Amino acid sequence: MEVVFHQDYVVERDDYASAGRVSSDIKRTLKKIGFSPKVMRRIAVASYESEINMLIHAWGGDITMDIFDDGTVKLVFKDPGPGIEDIEKALTPGWSTASEKARAMGFGAGMGLPNILRVSDEFDIQSGKDGTTLTLSFRSDV
Amino acid sequence: MINSVKYTMDQCVRCMKCVRNCPTSALSRVGNRIVINDERCIGCGHCIQSCTNQGIVAKGSSLEAIKDYDYTVCMVPGALINHCSSAEEAQELFHAIKMLGFDEVIDISDVTARRMKESYLLADDGDDTYISSFCPVINHLIANRYKVLQETILPINYDAEIAAKQIRKRLSDKNVGIFNLCECEAKLAIAKHPNDGDYEIDHALALVDVFPTIRRNLHTGKEEVNFCLEGLQTSNPLRIIAKDDYLIADGFDKICKVLDMAEFGLLNQFKLLILYPCFNGCIGGHLLWGNSFVMKNNIDSLKEVCNKKESDIPFEEFYTEDFWKTTEDKRSFIERTRFFKDVTAQLERLPGYDCSACGMQTCRLMAEEIVKGNKNEKDCRVLNALKEKENDNS
Repeated sequence: MEVVFHQDYVVERDDYASAGRVSSDIKRTLKKIGFSPKVMRRIAVASYESEINMLIHAWGGDITMDIFDDGTVKLVFKDPGPGIEDIEKALTPGWSTASEKARAMGFGAGMGLPNILRVSDEFDIQSGKDGTTLTLSFRSDV
Repeated sequence: MINSVKYTMDQCVRCMKCVRNCPTSALSRVGNRIVINDERCIGCGHCIQSCTNQGIVAKGSSLEAIKDYDYTVCMVPGALINHCSSAEEAQELFHAIKMLGFDEVIDISDVTARRMKESYLLADDGDDTYISSFCPVINHLIANRYKVLQETILPINYDAEIAAKQIRKRLSDKNVGIFNLCECEAKLAIAKHPNDGDYEIDHALALVDVFPTIRRNLHTGKEEVNFCLEGLQTSNPLRIIAKDDYLIADGFDKICKVLDMAEFGLLNQFKLLILYPCFNGCIGGHLLWGNSFVMKNNIDSLKEVCNKKESDIPFEEFYTEDFWKTTEDKRSFIERTRFFKDVTAQLERLPGYDCSACGMQTCRLMAEEIVKGNKNEKDCRVLNALKEKENDNS
């Protein structure tokens, strides 16, 4: 499998005003290339949730998107945040550690990771005290 | 979409306002004239609203077309009825419309009400967030810019089309002409056209065009009227009957925001999105002449003539899958990705002012044209000016 498109993004710490900027750009790129609506919808949901997670729970971070020649889209979300204490709990629908500030803005319903897991074809999460790396893959028939 | 938006070169001063204001980048300037891409146009009327010289207008059929039929029926939109402030005014309006030369003038608010009810039933039964399909602008906008949501458009046809089909059945023994009075540009496109006969409506008339004649005929008589209240209310986002888990929004910018959020799955708590691209909903349609801020509560004065029940046409008559049709991109995935990369690389070489002076709406669209080989960097006026300056300095 060969990478046919690569893009790096940065999510700045506490930049709530730009929440969703990266996932909007990812969505725009996939639309321009002409992915099928079904896979675009899944990627839109997952990328938005993951980007917001970096903002709420970590201190921003880096996002990369790789598109492969068979139409697979791979997204990596790498943050230097505090890490997830209990990944199993974090994957439980409704469970949340979001701050009051984040909840007041409508985030932190505890559906983020469960939703991401539901819509992605491959899901890998590595977390420690140095941060969290979430790797997602989406297959599309092109 | 067969386009109802027409360009007149004589009136155009080439200010590019229309090109810059188009939400789907359907307009560009080629040589000395504006060209409208029919596939991209969604009939929203932004170009018409932004033009200060009447270079771009909405065109419907001419009333002359009445002569082509033995028997003619005119359907009156609920939005126009909402502009009547009393039962008497509605009766006079219907008479004045009939005087245009029609054999019958018909209210379709009973079909509209039933259409709305069927939409609600489908949305409530489904397990997704659905989008009401009553407005052609919304349906085309989604097909154009929000393909992710296309399958959530409810498969229910336009009320005027459903009503027209019933009229044609009822009058099948006659050479009948069905006319639809339209309050907006988008509805003008829903009618038979020389290259596209797939509609039941024969002719769409722009309300602004026939208004002078209607006005002259007002106060000359009355026609009996009877409306369905729930149907009339659907034209007005403030008065439409809806449930708590339906989202209602009006105004183009606002509905784009809603659709952006829906794509990210942020509106999953709603069952149905009822979106009016026009400000104040259909009663704010661009081809109406009244003041929609003042008219918004007129409906209370029409209650005495609202005794019609919703239509009992069978559900099959409402069903359509037309809104899910997509155009296929014939290029391979690799070709499409390469094109995207080439365009992005070309874009880096353009100034990025999105000034439209080259004729394209944005530098990105210009970059696409350059990659396609239709234009070259010399067509960019800013780059030329910068080069000239450089030469002067050296």
